[in-house]
Amino acid sequence: MSHATERRRTPGEWLQLAVAATVVLAMFYPTVWMVLSAFKSNREIFAAPFGLPMDWRWENFAEAWEVGGLGELYLNSVIVTGTAVVICVGFATAAAFAFTRLEFPGRRALYRIMLIGLLLPPPVVAIPLFSLLRDLNLLNTLWALILPGAAWSLSLTVFLMSSYFNSVRPDMEEAALLDGANIWQIFLTVSVPMVWPAMLTMVILNTINIWNELIFALLFITDEDKRTLPVGLVRFYGYHSTDYALVFAALTITTIPILALYFLLQRHVIAGLTATAME
Amino acid sequence: MASGAANLLFVAPAVALFGGFVLFPLASAVYYAFTVWNGFSPPQWVGFANFQRAFADLTHLFAYVHVTLYILGTLVFEVAFGLMMAVLLNSDRRGFGVMRGMFFSPMVLSMTAAGVLWAFVLDYRTGLLNATLRAIGLDAFAQPWLSQSSTALFAIMIVSGWKFSGLYMVIFFAALRRIPRSIYEAARLDGAGPFAQFFSITLPLLRQNLLVCILLAVTGGFAGFDLFFILTNGGPFGATEVPATWIIKQAFDQNQLGYGTALTVILAVVVMSVAIAYLHFSERAHVTRY
Amino acid sequence: MKSLTISIAVVAVLTAPAIAQTELRITHSMTGGSNRDALDQIIANFEAEHPDIAIEQIVFDDDLYSGTGLITQLQSSSVPDIYFQWAGYPVLRDADAGYAMNLSDALAEDGWKDSFLESVWTEGAGTLVDGEAYMVPMSIDLTNTIWYNTAMFAEHGLEPPATWDEFIALIETLAAAGETPVIEGNSELWPLGNWASHIASRVVPVEEYEAAFNQDGPFNTAGFTRALELIDQLQEAGAFNRDLQGLGADPAMAGFFQGAAAMHPIGSWLIGSASELADEGFDYDQFDTPMIDPDHPLSDSVIGTVTGWIVHDQSANKDAAITFLKFFTSEESQTIWAETGALLSPVAGVNDSADLDEKTQSVAAMIAEAGSMVPPPDTTYPVPVAEAFYQAAAYVAAGERTPEEALTWLDETIAAMGPQ
Repeated sequence: MSHATERRRTPGEWLQLAVAATVVLAMFYPTVWMVLSAFKSNREIFAAPFGLPMDWRWENFAEAWEVGGLGELYLNSVIVTGTAVVICVGFATAAAFAFTRLEFPGRRALYRIMLIGLLLPPPVVAIPLFSLLRDLNLLNTLWALILPGAAWSLSLTVFLMSSYFNSVRPDMEEAALLDGANIWQIFLTVSVPMVWPAMLTMVILNTINIWNELIFALLFITDEDKRTLPVGLVRFYGYHSTDYALVFAALTITTIPILALYFLLQRHVIAGLTATAME
Repeated sequence: MASGAANLLFVAPAVALFGGFVLFPLASAVYYAFTVWNGFSPPQWVGFANFQRAFADLTHLFAYVHVTLYILGTLVFEVAFGLMMAVLLNSDRRGFGVMRGMFFSPMVLSMTAAGVLWAFVLDYRTGLLNATLRAIGLDAFAQPWLSQSSTALFAIMIVSGWKFSGLYMVIFFAALRRIPRSIYEAARLDGAGPFAQFFSITLPLLRQNLLVCILLAVTGGFAGFDLFFILTNGGPFGATEVPATWIIKQAFDQNQLGYGTALTVILAVVVMSVAIAYLHFSERAHVTRY
Repeated sequence: MKSLTISIAVVAVLTAPAIAQTELRITHSMTGGSNRDALDQIIANFEAEHPDIAIEQIVFDDDLYSGTGLITQLQSSSVPDIYFQWAGYPVLRDADAGYAMNLSDALAEDGWKDSFLESVWTEGAGTLVDGEAYMVPMSIDLTNTIWYNTAMFAEHGLEPPATWDEFIALIETLAAAGETPVIEGNSELWPLGNWASHIASRVVPVEEYEAAFNQDGPFNTAGFTRALELIDQLQEAGAFNRDLQGLGADPAMAGFFQGAAAMHPIGSWLIGSASELADEGFDYDQFDTPMIDPDHPLSDSVIGTVTGWIVHDQSANKDAAITFLKFFTSEESQTIWAETGALLSPVAGVNDSADLDEKTQSVAAMIAEAGSMVPPPDTTYPVPVAEAFYQAAAYVAAGERTPEEALTWLDETIAAMGPQ
């Protein structure tokens, strides 16, 4: 890699760099604008939308954190996403193991049924799901987001985990079977460690999806203390739609940690997101 | 390996969860679709009345026109643009890794954060876009982007492109890296320029990825809700009304859950038909893959 | 039998500490401004006087509240005990659907009902369904009046107009001077829709107006055509802000307070937001939509409605809810409501005895002088019909359709939705 950069750039490469840099900077500018505006006063955002803040108003962040109850929103999002992802990836891995390694009645039919979710957008069941959750007394609890969130992620997760199982030969599992291990031992001690990288990818992919989920969170939760981040932000924007500085500060606080996490885990995130298209 | 009903235990949790929160609601949707129901008093059977209404409901029919246009837009601003950027950013030179990261970063933002941010970028009086146009003397081009039917849907496509083109760039970039350099070098020796190389080598070799990406964009497009909800909520004049926003409005603004569910059943049928074509397509693609 | 009584008593003793504090859930859309200050103050007073009841407020901004916000709560398994609602059609709908509790018996006790202005209990006020009360009135809102920036009017030598023609001339003057004459945030359709229906109620024959909104007659009539032609005249004169259709109601109000336009037609709740949105020294005043047809029976009407609280029929804390509402409508609380909240009280005598600020007084005077009060259509007739009319008005205001085209579209749309 380093030797490649030592060569002088050709005119074509300079052109490539110039065009790429222009496009990338233009695309990145709204994010920069958001962060810079978060430090300004409302008046300054209107009067001088470009450029650095005259004075850096760190207090905007404290105010947004306080007013928006962002701490609580973060906590709820973490609980919902964490629980749903563990349930989904756990259940899906067990199911994918059974679908690809075991024989049982109805195997093909069940697998096909599980994939229905790949084809359906969640709004399709929002209404009946609402009345189901009401009958189960789950509306306005975090379970109203965890259970449907996990269930709707199952199709894709089962599908991708099954493809992964299929891409690995069952030699190790067969060897363990000959050694007299039962299927539960095989699953836990041989298969899970074997497909661990794929499980991690699925954790990341589902985390992104469930973390950002809006429509269920909008309909199934009304209490302020149980709202998740996406809904909290929509509400915050609705309340303070005229207080730009405050909204920008809230956007920045909720976005920067995720961006930082992304730059940290870049490789895994990209693997997770491309998994969908590569399979 | 082993066989027997005991093995069902491995699939039981997934099947139970899926059955309870996906299949059961789906089945009850089909029932509610034939009723008038306010969600509170018992549903009343009305036969096909909701469906008759749905096919006479112009806003509903136009929602499909809009979502089709939106999907076409995403093919241009997400898939095609993503492919172009993958080619452009495919270099080992210093700075390109950072640029790829920056280009991809909008993908990491939540839809809500992206939507709210762009509501500010596109605002008529105080938005970044119009401020930029005014600053460079193009005052006449400053538009109320989200407030006129002629530009609102287009504006949402652009936001969608900003948000998702990074995903497609990354997918294509990963695929580009698998193409051996020797093929390009051979073509260069034959005198092929960059454009000839793109059309005669890159595009044919990325064909499978392209098909998958297109179908991903199409099936994903039908579910589009978040950006529409935040940026325009279907307005102005229903110019950006898509099936998902219209369904939620009918059910939860107007309290007509029966009619709303009928619309969801129609959406499900439409998406399923498209998706079955997708499965058919991708299964064939799978066979010819390597 | 005896042992049963004892065991019930034991259970009651055991559970007593748990029920000592009742949590009362109240949902509304007052996110800020002086209305909210007044409400918070009244709630604090109430909690001080009733330590056994704690109040939890569930707040949505306007747009979400009237959309998914309220309905999802009403249908939820943990319903709000008390919710904010507009009088009229919403009360009828909520009573029919089984959300709203019949409050007639509660109101009959201790002369509670008689403490209100008589006018809030008339058929037209929309608090009753079949003669039974389902709402405790909270305030009387003027739904639409034209607020103007006094400095900007003075700068251009303008006076509030007395007739429609003067109004159009005034708009042309402002537009020619490069100002935005009127700012309206119509993304939710009701802001301009309310105003357009007020204009329509003053030019369309009364029976024709009622018939159309009740789906008993067409909209495409000479009367409604004339009403939309008036909107078209405004549009032709360059009255509206360019982002009329996509702007939210709140940002439009903020724009008015920032001097983005000379006039802002909206309801009396603007006064309550001024403290939050207006700069020091910003001054504004109001005039009602000028006289259009002097011969029309409603020519000097104002448009307004009662708003109030409804107790949810599934509430487990009905007694506590009623205790709170009695406290809320006591003279003491209502004085805070009118003075701090800048709202007109529905309780008899309060608006006269309270020390109202100047703007609230002018709204009170306008209501008192008006020949009649017409309610906004979305609180009186089926909501989908009212909203379709609002959309037709918006088409014309944006110059996207002619009045005739808009009315044809409206009749087709209403025919397609079936009886509501």
